[in-house]
Amino acid sequence: MYKKDALILKADNVGLQYEEKIILREINFEILDIIRPDMAQGQVVSLIGRSGVGKTQLFRILSGLLKPTTGTVKIEVDQHIVQPGEVGIVPQNYILFNHRTVLENLKIGLNNCADKRSEKEKEEIINEYCLNFDLINHLKKYPMQLSGGQQQRVSIIQQVLTGNKFILLDEPFSGLDILMVDKVMNLLIKISTLHEHNTLIIVSHDAENAMAISDTVFIIAKQEGKEGATITEKIDLMQLDMAWNPDIKKNSAFQQLVDDIKYKI
Amino acid sequence: MIWLKKIFEPLNLVNRKTVIFLITVQSLFVLLFWQLSGGGLIPTPLKVLEGIGRIINSHDFYDNFFSSLSLTLQGMGISIFIALIISYLSLIPFFNPLAKFVIKCRYLTLTGLIFLFTLLTQNGHELKISLLIFGIVPFFVTSLLSIIESIPTEEYDLCKTLRMNNWQSLLEVVIIGRLDQVFEVMRQNFAIAWMMITMVEGLNMSEGGLGTMLIKSNKYIDLSVVFGVLVIIFIIGIVFDILLGKLRFWLFPYTKINVRK
Repeated sequence: MYKKDALILKADNVGLQYEEKIILREINFEILDIIRPDMAQGQVVSLIGRSGVGKTQLFRILSGLLKPTTGTVKIEVDQHIVQPGEVGIVPQNYILFNHRTVLENLKIGLNNCADKRSEKEKEEIINEYCLNFDLINHLKKYPMQLSGGQQQRVSIIQQVLTGNKFILLDEPFSGLDILMVDKVMNLLIKISTLHEHNTLIIVSHDAENAMAISDTVFIIAKQEGKEGATITEKIDLMQLDMAWNPDIKKNSAFQQLVDDIKYKI
Repeated sequence: MIWLKKIFEPLNLVNRKTVIFLITVQSLFVLLFWQLSGGGLIPTPLKVLEGIGRIINSHDFYDNFFSSLSLTLQGMGISIFIALIISYLSLIPFFNPLAKFVIKCRYLTLTGLIFLFTLLTQNGHELKISLLIFGIVPFFVTSLLSIIESIPTEEYDLCKTLRMNNWQSLLEVVIIGRLDQVFEVMRQNFAIAWMMITMVEGLNMSEGGLGTMLIKSNKYIDLSVVFGVLVIIFIIGIVFDILLGKLRFWLFPYTKINVRK
């Protein structure tokens, strides 16, 4: 049981060109708020495409860090044009402030959040997140002392603490072992259900893992005879009854769909 | 055999004991070579050692030593301050040409400017300080700008996504985030300042200093004292280098994490 409500993100005719070279063209897609009874159901959307297709450029455009050559990206219910700082990003190499401890990195997230809190309140919130996400014993460590998976968790929580409802993740499963991939998937599901309007946008070439936690998938690819990548297909996993199912990877229809998508990208 | 292979193979890490052993053996070898090939005009290590003894026991050595040290520290302090201001200001487009000009001043020779500085300053001390500053600042700014230029764009992006404004990003990424590297540049540039000290002290001998001692000994062709002063300058330089290196790890503990042990 679910229904789709207000429009919360719209990419309208987004294109990117460097001099003569077209990188992205006519990118159009929408994300709607998903409502499920008795729970805060956020959105998890995957943009799947092969390496080098222009996913990272689209990632920067969606976060407001790069201005597209054409078109606009509008967010939230009032549909205003996205500004830097309104969409959190978790880059592939998990950028953190290396001169600050985990606790200080997370505090920076809270310092710039709209709600002003005392130092004690900040530490309580950070402790709660860190307990939930298995980081409580690493608060005094520096980012370089953490594993890739731990850095990724700090990076995600840092963005959540700023109060951003939209979080973009660039290749979140890249370079992680199978066990860690499962942990990251659980973490993302947890984040997506923390708040009704939390929206995770996963930009990845890893179709299987990205789709396993998504409710909607957009395929980004190049079309024959045309320069620049665009959205070639939308797959509504809710409609196919493949969303929000922790065991979906065991489903043969899902595996068939993953194979089809791998072929299409 | 394995031990020998280890010390001659590239990228091998050896323990502290081995490092000390290698330094001792190589130093002894150099000293032996010097002792055997010395004599005549070049004083042997033993004569230099005698010279050092005489220097240390002379009544004005400590005055000269502290004069050089305070001049270097004063020159370094002012140079760091000026260089940091110029480097940080370079991120504001209006001030960028100034920083670009300062780094090009590396190619200006000090010798030609001594007369100008003599006119502009009021006494010998000011002359020495201004020459030191002019000699150090361009190199310092060059190193600092290269640190700033190597900051990845992603760090500025992170600041934006954390809703920091440009001033906050400057403070977090460039100033606080690179303090450890600034300290390292300071350590490297201390060597330049220490090297320059003998030159500027030679221009004005009123306050004494190790440079003055060196020039006076040169004048009387007292080479064992000349070499002795050089060895003292060299040892003090190394001691400061080690101290500043240790201080960096203490002040910025995260810099230790990436060091190859």
